[in-house]
Amino acid sequence: MAEQSEQTNNSILHLEKLTKKFGNKMVLDDISLSIEKGKTTVIIGPSGCGKTVLIKHLIVLLRPTAGSVFLRDKRIDNLPERDLDKIRVHYGFLFQGGALFDSLTVFENIVFPIQQHGIRAKWNELEELVKTKLALVGMDGYQNYYPANLSGGQKKRVALARAIAMNPELILYDEPTTGLDPIRSDIINELVLKLQKELSVTTIVVTHDMTSAYKIGDRIIMLHNGRIIADGDVDHIRNHPNSIVQQFINGQLSENDLAALRLGGTKFQPQFLPRDFE
Amino acid sequence: MLRIFSEKTIHGVEQSGQFARFFAQSVAASARNCTKLSSYSLMWTQMNIIGVHSVPVIMITGAFVGMTLAIQAYDQLAGMGLEEHLGVLINISVVKELGPVLAAVMLAGRVGGALTAELGTMNVTEQIDAVRSMGTDPMRYLVAPRFLACVFLTPFLIIYADLLGILGGSFISVVQLGINSRAYWQFSAASVDFWDLSIGIIKGFFFGGAIAAVSCYKGFTCKEGAQGVGQACTEAFVGSFILILALDFALVVIFKAIYSTIWPTRILLL
Repeated sequence: MAEQSEQTNNSILHLEKLTKKFGNKMVLDDISLSIEKGKTTVIIGPSGCGKTVLIKHLIVLLRPTAGSVFLRDKRIDNLPERDLDKIRVHYGFLFQGGALFDSLTVFENIVFPIQQHGIRAKWNELEELVKTKLALVGMDGYQNYYPANLSGGQKKRVALARAIAMNPELILYDEPTTGLDPIRSDIINELVLKLQKELSVTTIVVTHDMTSAYKIGDRIIMLHNGRIIADGDVDHIRNHPNSIVQQFINGQLSENDLAALRLGGTKFQPQFLPRDFE
Repeated sequence: MLRIFSEKTIHGVEQSGQFARFFAQSVAASARNCTKLSSYSLMWTQMNIIGVHSVPVIMITGAFVGMTLAIQAYDQLAGMGLEEHLGVLINISVVKELGPVLAAVMLAGRVGGALTAELGTMNVTEQIDAVRSMGTDPMRYLVAPRFLACVFLTPFLIIYADLLGILGGSFISVVQLGINSRAYWQFSAASVDFWDLSIGIIKGFFFGGAIAAVSCYKGFTCKEGAQGVGQACTEAFVGSFILILALDFALVVIFKAIYSTIWPTRILLL
């Protein structure tokens, strides 16, 4: 049974019956969701369940097939790109691979949004700003490096510094710990908590890393086959009665699937496989 | 069979419509960029990459076109005792057709391929989404500077191709084949007029626009992975090449109609 959340007075983002199809493939199926201001909401789910598609709808990088997206009380999914550009200034987005611009240095990457929005600042002010943002993520001193000379974790930290360059109200993280070792994953988790605390931002994190989800999440939402199947705080999710939720958070296949996998043959059909592979 | 044909037709129409929309957005973004001084630095960077770095290959292309034409045409003209008219054939061919078209094809390979690969890689690594997520229009930041650089610099590159084509042709004709230099240049100057030269250069604006629009479109719409980027580069080159030839044909028809309207008697004399 799908769990749906109601819009509250404190909600900053609200999704209303959001549906997304790519061709005939249903990726998000009638999702209604409110994101509370100043809190950290973690969206979990198996690979291919539509988490990244969902987070991209929150900033309207993708447009829904049906349904709507509201920022505060204003509908934003139907706005033209030029109006959305003004709204996106309020967001910071950390992409899965960092998405730093290869041809620009770390310094140029961080001042990019500032320069693009025509904010006039003296050179020493820009230097100070970049230094402050990089210091927040522990990367001060890397201003003149190119992304190609940074490790995966460093790229994500620089990308995070770029995401907070415009002092956003909302920060969206798309799988921030994917591809990092446990120590570097924990650095990112601590940074998410630190930024949430120091900047009082609303944080939305998409991940399938349960250690990360438990550590940073005020609220955890689980997606499965494009629908919300669990929604609540950490304890609610830990004790959720749904077997799919329990298997996912414990990282275990069902007994039947496990037996079929060990035996081999064609019976192996774990319920976590994305819909298009079923 | 009929289903496959209809599906492919619908897909082709969809692609054409998307490309037309992308082209219109590119032109609109470029026009907006022209009015903003802050965007000129982006355009200068692209002009350096697209224009300045292409000069050597364009000059080599032009030189070989002129030299090859001289060798090919000499025997036929010499057989009729018209070898001193060789410059007319070479220079008309170079400035009106071969210079512009081959320079544009060379640009489609050198610049178009690089544009598609760069934008395609940016697309698959979510860098284009990153531009959008920071409230910046990727058409204005990524496409417009490249589009403007191609449109404005292709005519200049064609001038380089023409110049080297003329010099290469004259070098082979005068030095190698021993044609009288004075006669060669006199006949050439009398036959190649400003109109011939200018239509070749005007074609450059259209060819430049076609190369930039096709290459950027393919980069923006490329599929995931290394194979997707590679396929997009191939499609961009093939698409640009075909569009250059089609535009060349259309422009020749249009220019001929304009010419015959302005100078009807000269056509009859020729």
